[in-house]
Amino acid sequence: MPTEPPNLFLLGSSHRVASLEERERISLPADSIDDFYKGLQALPGLKESLVLNTCNRTEIYVSGNGSPPLGPVSEYLMNFRKLENAFLEKHTYRRQGEAVVKHAFEVTSGIDSQMVGETEILGQVKEAYDDALNRESTGKVLNRVFQKSFQAAKWVRTHTGISRGQVNLGNVICELARRIFGDVSACRFLVVGSGEVAEMALDAFGSRGARAITVTGRTYEKARELAEKSKGSVLGFDSFRESLHLFDVVLCSTSGKDPILTREAVRKAIAKRPARPLFLIDVSMPRDVEQSVGDLESVYLYNLDDVSAIANENLKSRQAEVAKCREALEKRAGLIWNQLLFSSNPPA
Amino acid sequence: MDLNDARTLLWLASALYGAALIAGLSLASKERRLPSMVPFVLILFAFAGHTRGLYFRGLDVHGCPLGNGMERIQFILWSVVTGYLIMRILFRLNLLGSFAAGLAGIGGALSLLSPGLDSNYWLEPSYKRLFSGPWIELHASVAIFSYGLFALLAVVSVMYLVQQKALQAKRTGALGAHLPSIHQLETAGQCLLLVGVIFLTASIVVGSMHWTRSPASISSVKLWVTIGLWIAYCGLWYLHFRQKLYGKKFANACIALFALAILSLGFVRSAPQRQETAPQPSFEDAN
Repeated sequence: MPTEPPNLFLLGSSHRVASLEERERISLPADSIDDFYKGLQALPGLKESLVLNTCNRTEIYVSGNGSPPLGPVSEYLMNFRKLENAFLEKHTYRRQGEAVVKHAFEVTSGIDSQMVGETEILGQVKEAYDDALNRESTGKVLNRVFQKSFQAAKWVRTHTGISRGQVNLGNVICELARRIFGDVSACRFLVVGSGEVAEMALDAFGSRGARAITVTGRTYEKARELAEKSKGSVLGFDSFRESLHLFDVVLCSTSGKDPILTREAVRKAIAKRPARPLFLIDVSMPRDVEQSVGDLESVYLYNLDDVSAIANENLKSRQAEVAKCREALEKRAGLIWNQLLFSSNPPA
Repeated sequence: MDLNDARTLLWLASALYGAALIAGLSLASKERRLPSMVPFVLILFAFAGHTRGLYFRGLDVHGCPLGNGMERIQFILWSVVTGYLIMRILFRLNLLGSFAAGLAGIGGALSLLSPGLDSNYWLEPSYKRLFSGPWIELHASVAIFSYGLFALLAVVSVMYLVQQKALQAKRTGALGAHLPSIHQLETAGQCLLLVGVIFLTASIVVGSMHWTRSPASISSVKLWVTIGLWIAYCGLWYLHFRQKLYGKKFANACIALFALAILSLGFVRSAPQRQETAPQPSFEDAN
């Protein structure tokens, strides 16, 4: 017996439509994902859902039956994050049907990333998918779309040169540190947080001979593990602000709600080392370092948008590869969409 | 081309410094078609020509060539390049050679293009020699050498500000990526300031020995301007040493003070005091 054709929708916001400040307002705090899912799954007419919440994008994939559920989803997000309707309209995008499949493929492959061709996004999408699976919020449609998107990402990596020449975030940070301090190996690094970006940065610091590496984080065990991996030391999260003046390069990548480095804390640290610059990199969402810190003398503050823009500087030479990827992913998306339509309405 | 003529050699040096600047900037751009040593080799050839040109002029004037505006500018520029060559041994600062060569090339060419700056004072029948004694000659040359070091300090400060602005603006292209780090530039600036102050102090000590013997030979304007400049540079060094003035403000202060030092040259130089029997542009004339 033929079933209803799949309804697939997406409501999202990313660096393409929203600035860092705007994304900060839309992004879901890590500790609120549970609550968000509960409310989302209770929305009428919605059968499947998946939330992808990274530092650069907040996307809600849903599949429903009957009327398009994007209106209620949008209203729910608006209420959940206390946003104005006009703001949400302006800084979000909506997709439907085959376009959602294509978008998911491009996101998973890194084509739509702020640092085009980066591979970290694949892990983040897999994590979001596993999370949705555990919550039993996905079904036939989203399972197929995301499983196929992982295959598409692998195909892109193998068959195109999209990642060739792509500048790693850790390398960008090291190059900036070189322009501030000269010899990177003599710099004292502090990594606050223990996510993938922190690991990537620690690898880059280590490969440049950095010896003075310290890790701190809310979860002491995670920080200790990361410190051991990078042959560094670990510092208690509660006391790291008092030791801030001892470090030259500080990378913040936590997932807290409030800034962990205020202007006052950094001003105090700088006062203890007035003639030596302090390089702060904030790759968190929402941001860990108050924006006004960047106005302090001898402080160089770079956020996610800044380092991504630098990493993308060689993008022009890869534009042909990007176009090639888009074309191939569009064909694949069309194929998958037709299969989904076919499986719900097989020919008599 | 007469390679025994001072002006010809100084022109040649300016052209080679200019070529070094262009070579250095082209290396810094993305199209690296030149071996990396080319700018340095050009600077070495230019410096050899520069030194030889000043030597020939020194033979003409019977002393360190500091008798007119062109000579003083050329000597300051020579000191800039000398300072750079010494600095190069201590710090490998990218593009400092290009910046110093640019200053020497452009400054040198401008001084040669202004005929009013290069009067042939040594051809006057009454002229015998430039300085009344070796100590005065030493005083003047050391003072001008310290000006050269302060000029190089101003160059380093400009590089600092360019790098700092590029980092604040979060730009990676253009010059920023090829310039030395701001920490290296600040350290180099600190060294240049200290060495410049030592040379200026030495010059003042030597000059004061002449002044105590003959107080009337030096105008009070020159005396106060010289002391004021010395106090200003010493104060700058002290404030930086005590970490009261650093970074962008220190770089701006170095540039502003050098501009004042150049302007002060007009005050400390008085009209040549020639004697009927033994004309001597004297200590005041030179500094």
